[in-house]
Amino acid sequence: MFNKLTVLFVVVLLATVVIGTGKERLVVYTYDSFVSWGPAAALEEVFESQHDCDLQFIAAGGAKTTLSRLLAERDASGTKADLFMAEVNEVPRIMNYDLFLPVTKEDIPNLALVPEELLLDPGGGFVPYEYGYITLTYDSQVLTEDELPRSLDQLSDPRYARMLVCEDPRTSSTGFSFLLWTIARFGEEGYLDFWQAIDPTILTITSGWSEAWAMLSHGEAPLIVSFSSDTAYGAMYEDSIRYRAFAPGGQGYRTVYGIGIVKETTKPELAKAFIDLLLSIEIQEQLPGTEIMIPANSHAKLPPEYDEYLVIPEDPLMLPLDLVGERMERWLHDWERAIVTK
Amino acid sequence: MAARLGAGDRDQVKKGGFILFVGLLAFLGLVFYHPLFRVLQRGLTEGGKWSFSPLGTILTDGYYLHIIVFSLKQAIMSTLLSLGIGLPGAYLLTRYSFPGKTAIRSLTVVPFVLPAIVVALGFILFFGNSGWVNQWLMSLFHLSSPPLHILYSLTGIVLAHAFYNAPIVTRVVNAAWEGIDPEIDEAASSLGAGGIRRFVGITLPLLAPALLSSAALVFIFSFLSFPIVLTLGGARYATIEVGIYTLVRTLLDYRLGSALILVETALSLSFTYLYLKAEGGFAVLTQGSRRLAVYPLFVRKASIGRVLIVVYIVIISVFFLGPISSVLVDSLRVAGRWSCESYRQIFALSYNPFLGVSPLRTVLNSLFIGGISTAISLPVGTLIAMFAVRSRLPGRRLIEAILMAPLAVSSVAIGFAVLYGLGGAPLHLSGTLIVIALAHAILTYPFVVRVIRPVLEGLDPSLVEAARSLGASRNRAFFEVILPLIGPGMLAAAVFAFALSIGEMTATIMLMRPGLGTMPVAVYSLLSARQFGAASAMGMILIVVTAVAFLAIDRLGKRGTKCQSL
Repeated sequence: MFNKLTVLFVVVLLATVVIGTGKERLVVYTYDSFVSWGPAAALEEVFESQHDCDLQFIAAGGAKTTLSRLLAERDASGTKADLFMAEVNEVPRIMNYDLFLPVTKEDIPNLALVPEELLLDPGGGFVPYEYGYITLTYDSQVLTEDELPRSLDQLSDPRYARMLVCEDPRTSSTGFSFLLWTIARFGEEGYLDFWQAIDPTILTITSGWSEAWAMLSHGEAPLIVSFSSDTAYGAMYEDSIRYRAFAPGGQGYRTVYGIGIVKETTKPELAKAFIDLLLSIEIQEQLPGTEIMIPANSHAKLPPEYDEYLVIPEDPLMLPLDLVGERMERWLHDWERAIVTK
Repeated sequence: MAARLGAGDRDQVKKGGFILFVGLLAFLGLVFYHPLFRVLQRGLTEGGKWSFSPLGTILTDGYYLHIIVFSLKQAIMSTLLSLGIGLPGAYLLTRYSFPGKTAIRSLTVVPFVLPAIVVALGFILFFGNSGWVNQWLMSLFHLSSPPLHILYSLTGIVLAHAFYNAPIVTRVVNAAWEGIDPEIDEAASSLGAGGIRRFVGITLPLLAPALLSSAALVFIFSFLSFPIVLTLGGARYATIEVGIYTLVRTLLDYRLGSALILVETALSLSFTYLYLKAEGGFAVLTQGSRRLAVYPLFVRKASIGRVLIVVYIVIISVFFLGPISSVLVDSLRVAGRWSCESYRQIFALSYNPFLGVSPLRTVLNSLFIGGISTAISLPVGTLIAMFAVRSRLPGRRLIEAILMAPLAVSSVAIGFAVLYGLGGAPLHLSGTLIVIALAHAILTYPFVVRVIRPVLEGLDPSLVEAARSLGASRNRAFFEVILPLIGPGMLAAAVFAFALSIGEMTATIMLMRPGLGTMPVAVYSLLSARQFGAASAMGMILIVVTAVAFLAIDRLGKRGTKCQSL
């Protein structure tokens, strides 16, 4: 009996290897929400109708884990990925590992419609397609506008005890942006004191943004670290603006998502065509409704809910990427020791 | 083997077994040991040479020592609470009869196979700040703020681990307890020994191997727990798993990450070894000629004991049913009203943009992966169980511990190793259903061993010898004597492996690509897409699928030998 099963197993194994060959395939490594919630399906339909190829998205978890997976594969035996999507704070690591092929406006015509201030990679391989701001979001049935903290500092006030949920900067890109925000705001010498001061305010630190949002919307906590587009999201999808984004002290941390061509690809032209499509007005205008982010293409129109409810911090913060690259490991190390070792 | 067997015949049996065993080792080597070895090798090298310096860094850094100690501390507390909750349950199931007893016994496995994400959701809905418990207390005592802060602390972690593991204690100890010969107890009683003295002097020592074995199992699971610690404890409570995750996934420090995996694996392998040793003692227990007397639970005359039992049942029901029912209620409420909308969404045949496929497809994927992985883990587990029972090799305990290693290696590490070893050239299995099924087979076969081993131990070898001496061929003896006897056990093992595969998420997420999502991944994706009703609905389907599987196995199991060791 066991022998028969072994034979069956080998046959199935061989069959999958054989079936795996066929049309030219363009593989995009992305993060979960781009596929589950974002415009992946629409992109696939349009791209496959324009080019004779099989477009395949691979999501290996949150935005932070996919890069690790790609690097592990590349290190072990080479990766299948032709394109890779990432949050901008990964750029230093991407440069370190020399992952991306540099591209220009000649390669990708739609890149000309992206404002200069979003082109953050000195290597020219990381092409931004959307951006947004990390701010705080509150439950308007628990806190009134007057009761909100006027700045990050006020979060340590005892009246906010056990109210805030933030994300783990080691596992979540949202959490990492919030950590960078505190460093940008209080400096390297002061940010750990701030984290100590808000310890009684923090109800818990979740591994990802979705857990934090689940806690907000189930009445578990009235305050979370989230995106400045949350109010617009509620207006678009839930006919309610109960959960509202706000920028304490007019501040928020800028987050940019981008895509790059993996150096080892054998299909650079196809990959460039894909990026051009991603930056096209047609796809860019879908991003506010699917990714809940602001399109990088400045010619893309925003939906009316964004005009009304999108929070744009007067004083958006962003640390220089080379500094993030240089200090990231130490900051996480110190944060971990200040927060966890109790 | 009977004397009637010829020497050549005996050699043939041995040779067949040997070839099968070598095949087994080759398979495990390819899909598990070699990939894991390559991951670990990274942690023991420095500049291309073997070196202990990464290990030294881990063992001298206060932070890593802290998380190692914390992992052990929460695992000990979780084990004690699981024993505290599980033992009275075992007593109840052994000594009393009540309606639904069989169903409850088979349902004790259900919490164990529930995905952490569903349990976490249930705990938040039930024990959370605005959960049912706090709402009741607030309206009962007219409080303005929630009185209980159970979650997001060590208490929350330990409670959730007990939710998972106490039923396992109940199941294992109940099986051993029912095997105790009542005559020993009666003899002591006739010699004048009182109830407490008999329990401490006789029952407890006889139960000791089962107690130790279940405690060790609970300890290993709590020690390796990752999603529960992260979701219910929050980042302020870090275990070794979280430390590895951070090093490997975020900092890309394979050197220190692999060294920490090494420390974790060494610790949990030692616990696995202890557990196998304790379980080896299990076999000493022999079935008595009679079973223990069983009393009806519900009688007119109330005694203090019976009142205590009823109090226990009420508390336990609230503890286990509360989180599960709150998931059920959540799945049936849309925008504050009762509605089946969430289920309609789940059963829709159309493409669901949140999942990348139709929800039904994720159910089919789960069933397919569960089927293939069970087809692999069942023969692998059975062979190892046969080795454990039959082999007389020196050091076989150690070999067995090594064969059971997946139990002691975390899902994060297994997923990573499989990705590392099979994802790339020459097989390029990355992102196929097969590679997920392979990872599941590795994760589940130790449980197949656990279920089949006691069945094989209970098998009387003279039956086979009798069949052979009456002229039955080796195959005929296997198919007509052994298989009918261990068949129900194998079926139980298969269902268990299948249910574990259905509920697995950590390794799946590391290996999947869109369109290959399974049910727990769908729960997670739906949560990320803010579709809470649909997430709860999918979670309920998972609960129902596993519960039905175990109830079915219980009905089937009754026809054959007893197969309730897990």
